Amino acid sequence: MFSSSISRTAFVSSRIAKSTVSRLFLRAQSTNALNQSQLPFTFSQTGPKTVKYTTQHEWVAAHPDGSAFIGITKYAADALGDATYVELPDVDTELEAGDSFGSVESVKSASEIYSPVAGTVVEVNEALSDSPQLINSDPAGEGWIIKIKINDEADLQSDELLSLEQYEAHLKEDH
Amino acid sequence: MISKCTHRVATTLLRSGISVPKRLYTPANNQIPFELDETDEKYKELNNIYRELFTPTDKANILTTKDIESNKRSEVDEINEELNSLYSVGVLSPAELEDAVKSNGRFVIRSVSTNPYFNLALEDYVFRNTPLTENKTGNERILLYTNDKCVVVGKNQNPWKETYMRNIASRGYNFVRRRSGGGAVVHDLGNVNYSYLTSRESFRREFFNQQLVQWLSNENITLNDRGDLIYKGYKISGSAFKIAKGKAYHHGTMLIDSDLAQFKGLLKPDVIPGVEWTCNSVESVRSKVDNIGGKAISSIDDFCNLITDQFRNLVDDSEIPMFYCDESSSLLEITEISENLRSKEWKFMSGPRFEVICNDVTIKVEKGVIIESDWPELVGMPFYKFYDEVREDDKIFKHLL
Repeated sequence: MFSSSISRTAFVSSRIAKSTVSRLFLRAQSTNALNQSQLPFTFSQTGPKTVKYTTQHEWVAAHPDGSAFIGITKYAADALGDATYVELPDVDTELEAGDSFGSVESVKSASEIYSPVAGTVVEVNEALSDSPQLINSDPAGEGWIIKIKINDEADLQSDELLSLEQYEAHLKEDH
Repeated sequence: MISKCTHRVATTLLRSGISVPKRLYTPANNQIPFELDETDEKYKELNNIYRELFTPTDKANILTTKDIESNKRSEVDEINEELNSLYSVGVLSPAELEDAVKSNGRFVIRSVSTNPYFNLALEDYVFRNTPLTENKTGNERILLYTNDKCVVVGKNQNPWKETYMRNIASRGYNFVRRRSGGGAVVHDLGNVNYSYLTSRESFRREFFNQQLVQWLSNENITLNDRGDLIYKGYKISGSAFKIAKGKAYHHGTMLIDSDLAQFKGLLKPDVIPGVEWTCNSVESVRSKVDNIGGKAISSIDDFCNLITDQFRNLVDDSEIPMFYCDESSSLLEITEISENLRSKEWKFMSGPRFEVICNDVTIKVEKGVIIESDWPELVGMPFYKFYDEVREDDKIFKHLL
């Protein structure tokens, strides 16, 4: 009885060690910056005014005209694996910050996506219906999910939202 | 049916003279979740009775009118009293459930309801309301439940493409759309569902089934490349996952002694001649299935005890409580989730869009409503209503059924 509980502990710690190594590796590998050659960036000539991240692994790229693109980060896409279906909201859906507006399914997992700021959905990325794999190949570019009209741009300055540096630092934190 | 099952447990527990504590702690290597100071015979009887709870025979319906008439009236009163006292102590009250779920800490819940809508709503409630914590694994929770006959599809599937809806209804199965991803499965009283909740940070798809392989410790049970449990080449368990708000769960089925012959004709094959589907919904992976009852594990109770004991060992905490719940534990939120799961709106009016061509007639559906068709009179009709109206001998659409 005693010896079996020791081997159990050894098993558990080796499992944790292994999982931590692969996670840190994944985190170090992910480049979560916006793809500068795709619509979320090129929508305005000068690029987005503000790009922010959430601890739930979404990004939001806000443009001078008050519209903003939302997608999931490279880290999240890598962790989820091959996307097989993206559930998109209806245009005109009104969202509060933190509302779930859709989900990404990958390998039998349905993963909810949340809006970083309040606003109204003005466009959804229809390309994801036929090509959900864009979520994996270019999550911060071609794989954008929705475009919203932001209610109040001051929300982008919320303490809840992270800069790219803060987000990547958050990923490296070992809780 | 459900209340009668519960009734039986109530009667049995109290007649055996066992006091039921508020929290039922299972000693690590014990088969039943309470101390039993009786002979082995008593022990066996109790196990048998508990197994009968999940066995769909007429024996489960113990209190027929005839039985009641043949017994003394005072005995019926006695049973009712016993039932009342069970509800107040053995099964969590709504307030106790809320308190347990919203507090930090690990626990196991075993639902003694066999209502699939209640069980999935209970699971969703626990998932939504479990607090986030600083510690890496979060508040790990395990739910164990058995559903009466039902076909359960993933949230992003096309039910008309994946299932024979007509057969599901005519054979008395419920059709259920769950909140997680994945493919279609069939449940009955010979199947047990396990659900393991953890933090998004520490969630790994393969983790819990890897534990199960170890815990079941049977050389014939392995994992396939999709992470499913396999017994001698047959699938014995199917899995699905959900991730939201910093938390994640893995839930799976375990076929113990399901009536597999009855499963035939409920799930559709990949291709049906004469019907052509165009949709991006998630496809089920068809697999041959088998039961493991009598092979690696003897009963649903055994499986639940194994998981509970081994989970306590794994995290090195023998004090992890095991709670019992049934529909009397429902909070308003659980009732609301359950009603939503039961609604046509959730089942048929909010899934992936699709197009189907059946003998050259095209029907295009979005949010459950026919939006385009070669038969203009169909436009504007919910697809489920159209399906209901198709006759078995319909020359054009019979293959759609």
